[in-house]
Amino acid sequence: YENRVVIAFLYVLILQHNRFVSDSKGKEPDVLFVGDSLVQLLHEFEVWRKLFSPLHALNFGVGGDATQHVLWRLVNGELDHISPKVVVLWVGTNNHGHTPEQICGGIMAIINVIHQKLPHAHTLVLGLLPRGKSPNPLRERNASVNALVQAEVASLSHVSFLDMDPGFILSDGSIAHQDMYDYLHLTPQAYQKVCQPLHERIKSLLDKHAP
Amino acid sequence: MSAEENPAAEPAPVIDVQGDGRWMSQHNRFVQECKDAEPDVLFVGDSMVQLMQQYEVWRELFSPLHALNFGVGGDTTCNVLWRLQNGELDNIRPRVVVLWVGTNNHEHTADQVAGGILAIVQLLLSRLPKCKIIVLGLLPRGEFPNPLREKNAAVNNLLRTSLPQLGPVQLIDVGGGFVHSDGTISSRDMFDFLHLTASAYRTISTSLHELLLQLLEETPQERRASLV
Repeated sequence: YENRVVIAFLYVLILQHNRFVSDSKGKEPDVLFVGDSLVQLLHEFEVWRKLFSPLHALNFGVGGDATQHVLWRLVNGELDHISPKVVVLWVGTNNHGHTPEQICGGIMAIINVIHQKLPHAHTLVLGLLPRGKSPNPLRERNASVNALVQAEVASLSHVSFLDMDPGFILSDGSIAHQDMYDYLHLTPQAYQKVCQPLHERIKSLLDKHAP
Repeated sequence: MSAEENPAAEPAPVIDVQGDGRWMSQHNRFVQECKDAEPDVLFVGDSMVQLMQQYEVWRELFSPLHALNFGVGGDTTCNVLWRLQNGELDNIRPRVVVLWVGTNNHEHTADQVAGGILAIVQLLLSRLPKCKIIVLGLLPRGEFPNPLREKNAAVNNLLRTSLPQLGPVQLIDVGGGFVHSDGTISSRDMFDFLHLTASAYRTISTSLHELLLQLLEETPQERRASLV
């Protein structure tokens, strides 16, 4: 059974990857978003059209992706033929079975590939969000990843880190379904909350990048 | 096929392997909603149902019908069956149920998936005797022709004739128009060749909404009977 699920999943992944590779030919994005479903779903809501399309952004998010999948995609064509000024990277929450150190290592490996292929681009790494309705080990794991990544990129001039949590965890420790409809994925209203500061940060990075 | 013969008709919760218990949290929230709400329409199924609620079309067309959304991403017929047997039908008397599930039943054959959907419909009819049921056909998926498209179409074909035999139940196939003449599905309709974009939801919602309006329109006799 698991083999069939894996095969179906890989099949969809490969098709989406091929589409992204052909998407990058002929487009000239200034901003490239890459990551998992939190990136992918962002494209489907109004906030994308309002805040990020005007910045000439491309969206290479794939639901379910962990760091190793994003790494594979970027090594295998998704950074070819484009020269974005800013790459926004949001991945890590799907790395089940990996330690925070391993997940941080995966994120750093992606950052290195981006830097090799796009030496003039700035990478903006987004912090992993808390998840689950109540306190649970994945919240701790994601917070640890954020701390590790933040420390590692502090000394790199071509990378910066942005904490994306506007305070999703309420005083009783719960996350509201009005923010995460399945306690993982963001509602349109939650995307509005997290995207304002993200939009500001990307704009200031683009301004710095300009000659 | 009985439950013993058909694994797709065997109720089963999703076991939390990731570590944050999200499936059970969603189920518990729906059980609580049954205590608080009085829906006329209940949508139940997988991510195809769940994601609909995140788009404008839900607020515009379905909220006004007093609809509840009990969709959970990743659910199979087994998971939906378990949820409905374990609280998600308690204390509510919707007049119409919209059921959309089956595309995630990767370990089952088309026959088994159809049997699983029939089992859910039978449960709904036994728990909600005055209810009318709309079963949405499984959509084609994948960018190019592939076995899952054939399987989903086979499920729909099996259901087309067998569903109405159970009672006030019908299959509505909203998948027409997604597959282009070259056999491809566009990412403008399914952003990952499985899940629908806002505009695709709008396209399928028009006819579904009209059908719901028809079904919700009822004679005074039916209204009195349903209040008993």
